[in-house]
Amino acid sequence: MISLTSVTWAEVLNATRVSVLGDFSSYTHSIIQIAALSKIQVPIWLAYVLIYSDWADFNIPTPFGPRVRNALKAEARSVRLAGLVGAGGLWYGFGKTIVDILAEEQANEISEVLTKTFRARLVEVIDQAQHFAALGPVGAGGASGDVAQLFREGLDSTERELFSLAQESAKRTKKWYEESDRSRR
Amino acid sequence: MALPESLRMSITPPELELISSQQLLEIVPLISMERTAFISGAYGPLRPPNKAIVPIWMAVNLKSKKKCHIVAPAWLNVDFLQDRLNYETSKPGFSDLPFRFMEISKVLLDVASDDLEDPDKLRSLLKDLREARQAKSRDGLKRLDHSELSLPNLSSMEINEIRPFFVQSMHMLTQLVREPSAA
Repeated sequence: MISLTSVTWAEVLNATRVSVLGDFSSYTHSIIQIAALSKIQVPIWLAYVLIYSDWADFNIPTPFGPRVRNALKAEARSVRLAGLVGAGGLWYGFGKTIVDILAEEQANEISEVLTKTFRARLVEVIDQAQHFAALGPVGAGGASGDVAQLFREGLDSTERELFSLAQESAKRTKKWYEESDRSRR
Repeated sequence: MALPESLRMSITPPELELISSQQLLEIVPLISMERTAFISGAYGPLRPPNKAIVPIWMAVNLKSKKKCHIVAPAWLNVDFLQDRLNYETSKPGFSDLPFRFMEISKVLLDVASDDLEDPDKLRSLLKDLREARQAKSRDGLKRLDHSELSLPNLSSMEINEIRPFFVQSMHMLTQLVREPSAA
């Protein structure tokens, strides 16, 4: 995960070869002074190391902030998780990493949020998958179709995997079952 | 041997049908046959008009050549299935049906619908049963836990259908939920 998070430096640091913004093509041997209490964006894996070694502190990033959390509490299925963490959409994965970084109490909170959201959205994911297994390539229209489509666009990539798994297995079973109406022998 | 991605998570329905065809079924043969050794065992002799017990695959084979009549298994009749359907619609648990009832009933309805009483009614009952049970397994999904889920009396085809995404979701939940104890 090359997604970034912002950390606040706790003390003055003389750092060599600090490649900010995770652009690995430019490693420079330069001495950079990072003043205390400045905000820097670093990749997640680096953030974990920095926080663990007590060189920086960490605010909960926006995708898990209070606004998103309230939206999820209100109606988990209407939040579009796909766009929240940049391309590739690994909201749950990102959340899990954050939980690793954070201390006990906040970690529990976030993991609560993650599990509740997952459970709530799961039923909707499976419903839509089975619905799509039944229909052919031409989708269903109508007002409910739009809402369903919006939901599908906002799916996290782990949810997309589940969607395709469910759709595949439902399609296979249905195909086998439909075969029974025509005589094969 | 490397399986393609789509086949790794579950068994295909035709495979399940093949496995279920190993079960024994009663037939009324129309031809005679000596006791013959097959790979799975020796069956026969077939002496019409006595009934004989043979595997389903053999019964289907004979039936398609019009060499036997099939005797319906004890559970494949209108009363039994209607009774089970009533149970499904009234009680929250799954009703007790033979483990491979879907595969066997499909094969028999295909091949031997003239030997079964009221095949259309049977078909519609089976369809209703399937839908009722699917609705219940959907409810079970809501109660999904990361540690265990028990859905007793689920049939082989139904388990196969829901296995991939149930297992995957439980995996996800394990990753999301276990964090507090680890931290």
